[in-house]
Amino acid sequence: MTSALISALDPARAADPARYAIADAVPRVAVRPVTREEVSEALRAATRERLGVVPWGGGVALARDRAPERYDLALDLTALDRIVEYEPEDMTLTAECGATLATLAAALAARGQELPLEAPRAARATLGGALAANASGPRRLRFGAPRDRILGARYALADGTLARTGGRVVKNVAGYALHRLACGSRGGLAVILEASLKLLPAPETRVALVFGASAADVADGARWATFPRLEPALFTVVRGALAGALPVAAPTAPFTVFVGLEDDAPRVAEQEAACVRALGDPDARLEGESVAALWQSLTDLEDAAPARLTFTTADNTPEALAPLLDLVPDVPVMFHAPAGRLHVFAGPPHVAAVVAALAPPRFQLVDVAGMEPPEPIVAPQAAVLALRARIRSALDPAGTLALGPRWERGGF
Amino acid sequence: MEWTPALLDELRALLGDDGVLTSEAARFTYEADALALERHMPDVVALPRSTDEVAALMAWAHAHDVPLTPRGAGTGLAGGSTPERGGIVLSMNRMDQVLRVDAERMFAWVQPGLVNLWLSNRLAPLGLTYAPDPASQQVSTIGGNVATNAGGPHCLKYGVTFNHTLGMVAVLHDGTVVTLGGEAPDAPDHDLAAIVTGSEGTLAVVAEICVRLLPVPEAVKTMLFDFLEVEDACRAVSAVIAQGIVPAAMEIMDRHTVGLVEAWLHLGLPLDAGAVLLIEVDGPAVSLERQVERIVGIANAHHSRSTRVAKDAAERAAFWRGRKSSFGAYGRAASGFYIMDGVVPRTRLAEALSTIYRLARENGLGAGNVFHAGDGNLHPHVLFDADDEHQQRAALEVSHEILRMCIRMGGTISGEHGVGIEKVPMMSELYAPADLALMERLRAAFDPSGLLNADKILPGGAGCGEAHARGPGDQAAAHAPAQLGGMRPTADGEGPWM
Repeated sequence: MTSALISALDPARAADPARYAIADAVPRVAVRPVTREEVSEALRAATRERLGVVPWGGGVALARDRAPERYDLALDLTALDRIVEYEPEDMTLTAECGATLATLAAALAARGQELPLEAPRAARATLGGALAANASGPRRLRFGAPRDRILGARYALADGTLARTGGRVVKNVAGYALHRLACGSRGGLAVILEASLKLLPAPETRVALVFGASAADVADGARWATFPRLEPALFTVVRGALAGALPVAAPTAPFTVFVGLEDDAPRVAEQEAACVRALGDPDARLEGESVAALWQSLTDLEDAAPARLTFTTADNTPEALAPLLDLVPDVPVMFHAPAGRLHVFAGPPHVAAVVAALAPPRFQLVDVAGMEPPEPIVAPQAAVLALRARIRSALDPAGTLALGPRWERGGF
Repeated sequence: MEWTPALLDELRALLGDDGVLTSEAARFTYEADALALERHMPDVVALPRSTDEVAALMAWAHAHDVPLTPRGAGTGLAGGSTPERGGIVLSMNRMDQVLRVDAERMFAWVQPGLVNLWLSNRLAPLGLTYAPDPASQQVSTIGGNVATNAGGPHCLKYGVTFNHTLGMVAVLHDGTVVTLGGEAPDAPDHDLAAIVTGSEGTLAVVAEICVRLLPVPEAVKTMLFDFLEVEDACRAVSAVIAQGIVPAAMEIMDRHTVGLVEAWLHLGLPLDAGAVLLIEVDGPAVSLERQVERIVGIANAHHSRSTRVAKDAAERAAFWRGRKSSFGAYGRAASGFYIMDGVVPRTRLAEALSTIYRLARENGLGAGNVFHAGDGNLHPHVLFDADDEHQQRAALEVSHEILRMCIRMGGTISGEHGVGIEKVPMMSELYAPADLALMERLRAAFDPSGLLNADKILPGGAGCGEAHARGPGDQAAAHAPAQLGGMRPTADGEGPWM
């Protein structure tokens, strides 16, 4: 059946399947179409041949993913990488899914604007991949999630139909926002071909303050009380040897706290003074371009360990880490406080203890990398699972998109 | 269906005697929202008090195949809460409580019938605010805001309702209760909340909402500029953004609007101005002085003739009063007017305005604009004599032509009011058949019965029998009373709100 598929496609688009392995699963065929019509044609053929398809961007999230239940065709979208429309005065960008975050960020930086998306390995990570993976970095609260930034998208549906929802303008309530639903769908609902985003101006001043902290400091709520309303751009706590991988001399304390300030110069000075009042003088201070590099390194840390559990919580200060302090002292942890995103780099020996300590409703497990997900402590809502099944079957009745079943299970 | 006393008793058993209204007088109140053009009497008005009652009501309606239309305050301008097929109007009037405020973690759970402004008033002593502020916020409800993903003058900086919605308890068409998202950013199933938001009550009924709160900005500065040419005002708006400044609001009133407002309220606005531009910046006090300086510089470079910076809260309120009274002023000026909610890319505002004026002029009609310039969200008003059928028809044609222009410029037909009934015919001009088919499949996945706010948004309807979208061009419109586009302005200028 794969030969039937290949014959439907231009042989010049064939790629080496070995490069598209997910865990230990290698697809039978890999193609790299160069137009949306070719994407559509590949999907139509795959649906006809009842093949399981995984759309690929830079492979940043997929490289650490679990093998899909079926995996016949890797659909490499990196050749669709044009900037379709960028009008700085509109503060919006429309680009094809294969454009890398680094390329887009550079184009925007040249015009004093910023791409409000963060993902590990920005030189490799693509727009489509970051959206599909619901990539979320240390500045999550400042930027919003991808679904807060997306204005519209074009898709190839599983049967090859080309469609779009939303648009390019910043306000739009005409019709259903599948583009927001597609964020985080891992390509399990539809193949994102192109997306429009709402941008931000680049801040005039960037400052990073680095503080060492003891476990007692971390657990001391009063120490952090001013931070949520101070609204720093970034407020991240890292525990363990992880901090050694960062381009800044880490303090010797067991925890390292990063405070990022991004605004005009007078406001940054005011925020910095408030931080120093609360925490004392920083152990390190960076300014300018090196700050952006540090942010990317913090984003990259998400993939620095072989296994990861990611939780979300409404707690917005380092005190949230208290349940972990005595539990698994050696396990590295990274907490992006403002958005309540907590990465625990625990492998199988510690997973059960971590999941028990970070239980709902205060913490919710939202992502697992590098291992099989643990049994949920609270069973997912049956009605939501049924709704997800109906949505998926409405968009992909033949079940062509191989990561659809996982979307249907709420990501697990 | 036949509403027998036994059936009504079943409903009363679920909602209490005072939770079920059946008198003609009561039902009359719910026959339309602010789109007065389209009316349809519900058979029953239901007023649940809790999520459980909403669920029980919806399960009952599902079991009896009764169409159900959710409704907040009824300030919608597109007919989104008009019960096109009769049946039940589910009014959120009695679900108007703040359920819980967590000031430290900065979120609140509210009921959908809570009036938008009440929440911010309640939060003010805590130094917190709920950012989305549709101009209707004194009346409109948070549930209604979620349904239309409402914006408001300040969404330029703060974003629209979805950006402030962390989670919701929603009731599906058959009465099933689900929690989507939660208190944390990116809680599980937030993606489903993302598509329910802005779906105008067609995918689910939202029964509890978890909203994100922000610290009240430390300071606010409001500026008023006037320009001889409206195009210059538009270019100034683009230039501000290009300079990396994101004001809280940028609002333009054109010459026509200024004239009407001034004739009524005597605020001292310049009558010879092509446009008045209001810009508001907020945030840390230490940042604002310089932002004001830069904005004034940009405005001057674009030929602003005068600059006023509000010295205090009273002057700031006066600046806003002109903007907020515009619609009332239109109501005083013409017996009929048609309002649109189209959006164009910000950089094409000047061109869009010229086209609007030309289209109106060519058809012998007056047209004015008062709009969210920072977002490119236009609210063109086409004025006509309601007793003149020829003018009425011409106004409708011009209105549709204006929305077509928005589409051609890469914009959309609705920025914040929603499609409702009113813009259904334009959906097939905005989207290709494949796009609409995709949306129909999504709707059917949520509501296979097609009875949840039926006949709204999509031209085909979902699972519709007799359903068809009544566009403003057909019989209903031809016999519409004075105000097409659904205007009910009162003497003091209150409402409609945009």
